[in-house]
Amino acid sequence: MPNEIWVLAEHREGKVKKIAFELLSAGIEFSKKTGQEVAALLLGSGLEEAAKSLTLFADKIYVMDAPSFTPYTSDAYLASIASLIKEHQPSILLGGATSTGKDLFPRLAMHLQTGYAPDCTGLTMGEDGKLIARRPLFGGKVFAEMAFSEARPRMATVRNNAFLVNESPGKSAKIVPVSSQIDPSLLKKKVTGFEKAAGAKLDITEADIVVAAGRGIKAPENFKIIEDLADALNASVGTTRATVDEGWRDLKDQIGKSGKNISAKLYMAFGISGAIHHILGIGTCKTVVAVDTDPNALIFNYADYGIAGDLFQIVPALTEELKKVFSTE
Amino acid sequence: MEIYVLVKQVPDPEAIVKVKSDSELEIENKYFTSFFDEIAIEAGLKLKEKTGGKVTVLTVDNRRVDALRRGISMGADDAVQIADPALEGADQFALARTLSAYLKDKPFDLILTGRQAMDDDAGIVGPAVAECLGIPHIHSIIGLEVDDQKKEAKVLREVENGKESLTCPLPALFTCQKGLNAPRIPLVMNVMKAMKAQIKKLDLASLGLGPSDVSPYIKIEKYVPPPKRPPVKMIKEDFPENVKTLVKLLREEAKVI
Repeated sequence: MPNEIWVLAEHREGKVKKIAFELLSAGIEFSKKTGQEVAALLLGSGLEEAAKSLTLFADKIYVMDAPSFTPYTSDAYLASIASLIKEHQPSILLGGATSTGKDLFPRLAMHLQTGYAPDCTGLTMGEDGKLIARRPLFGGKVFAEMAFSEARPRMATVRNNAFLVNESPGKSAKIVPVSSQIDPSLLKKKVTGFEKAAGAKLDITEADIVVAAGRGIKAPENFKIIEDLADALNASVGTTRATVDEGWRDLKDQIGKSGKNISAKLYMAFGISGAIHHILGIGTCKTVVAVDTDPNALIFNYADYGIAGDLFQIVPALTEELKKVFSTE
Repeated sequence: MEIYVLVKQVPDPEAIVKVKSDSELEIENKYFTSFFDEIAIEAGLKLKEKTGGKVTVLTVDNRRVDALRRGISMGADDAVQIADPALEGADQFALARTLSAYLKDKPFDLILTGRQAMDDDAGIVGPAVAECLGIPHIHSIIGLEVDDQKKEAKVLREVENGKESLTCPLPALFTCQKGLNAPRIPLVMNVMKAMKAQIKKLDLASLGLGPSDVSPYIKIEKYVPPPKRPPVKMIKEDFPENVKTLVKLLREEAKVI
């Protein structure tokens, strides 16, 4: 019986994150080659809804229900997941390249003395069961294909939109409750507060559509037209280092080398010239649209569609056109 | 406080990096201190200025020590380079074991490093060192206050939908994110002094490690160039037709909205 493929299913406010469905869909594809079972790992409290939403996507759902899992700390997660891994010896453990994934996975891999490929943009499974992880280096100037040593599980965190969510996954998961006795002396860190970001928008690393403006927007208040466009598209708003350094926008929305790498299905850049720092942050977006007054702006070299034009004219018209098109559907 | 900062010299973000062969990259010889590590150095220096103590910068690199010299020029008290032929091609886990072997008997209160190095963008070494040393870690902090008496840190960490505050007993390891501080620009005089500063150099044997202690868990099988985007399609119609065309293309050709 080949060992299982596991996915850590992160959730927020009872809702499982899209990346978990993407990774389970990848796991289902891999299992067609290897015959392995696919399992989701759910940690938290009050997990019924979350478990239900995963039913079609896994053969098993390991549910660990304990108050010390909310909010996340690596202390509680590591101890519990490590002991479950030792018991079941999964072959693969995947997670999202999120704040949790990036905090937990490297430490867990060191603890288990096994390989971990961070922040991947692709994973492929050979007929022989060999897993190759593809990940960007130097901010995306080159990519590496990584192989794992003999140790198990092979671990990876993966960016959004590397895999499509399977429309008909066809599984029917068995719920496996796991008792989690956490030694309180292991819980060293304490979360004392949480300041929710203003607005209800997804983080730019999680959004399917990101619209952004750079210095070309001229003044912080002009972001209103970008926000309106984002509302019409149900998108999140990103920006460049220049506007963050000016104090116009929050650091959490900065795209690029010193900010965040985004992996959106659609990225639209308005008044962004395309400095290399910025370009490196959008390398794995599927479709890129650029609008800038300068027809020679570098950003056009990295875009799929371009308009050499004035964003102050184009953005409001685009918002209206989209509203019109969507309302007739 | 005894503070250790793990630093790395990496190619400048503007440097040209290309695939030369499956197993080799061509990297322009233009190095600087990984940006997030510089934030970590600054955080260490700020704490030292407040509470007294010592800041040591530490790197594993067989060839370069640029980041150590940067650390000294900014105000670090001591610099240590670990180099060994057996570390050629080592993975991040091997680096973490090497750094931990050095740190394990040092009187550290706090270990700082960047949230990831700007070359491999991996973010493994920091949390892995914390695991080896059996101390807590927090990834990607944007705020830090230390109570030296209580040996406790108050930390602000960025998560997807907001900011989380945590308390953490010391000793601990934190990885630093942009927003924590603005690294100081060293005085030219200090840069000159740093060029001549003595740097301690250690090999694996002096840390009690052998080549088998740095065998990798992950391996680069092949370098590949980034996927190429097809040439841009410029929409050349006048306004407002260009906007209508763009919407049409996004819906019917790219199928993304």
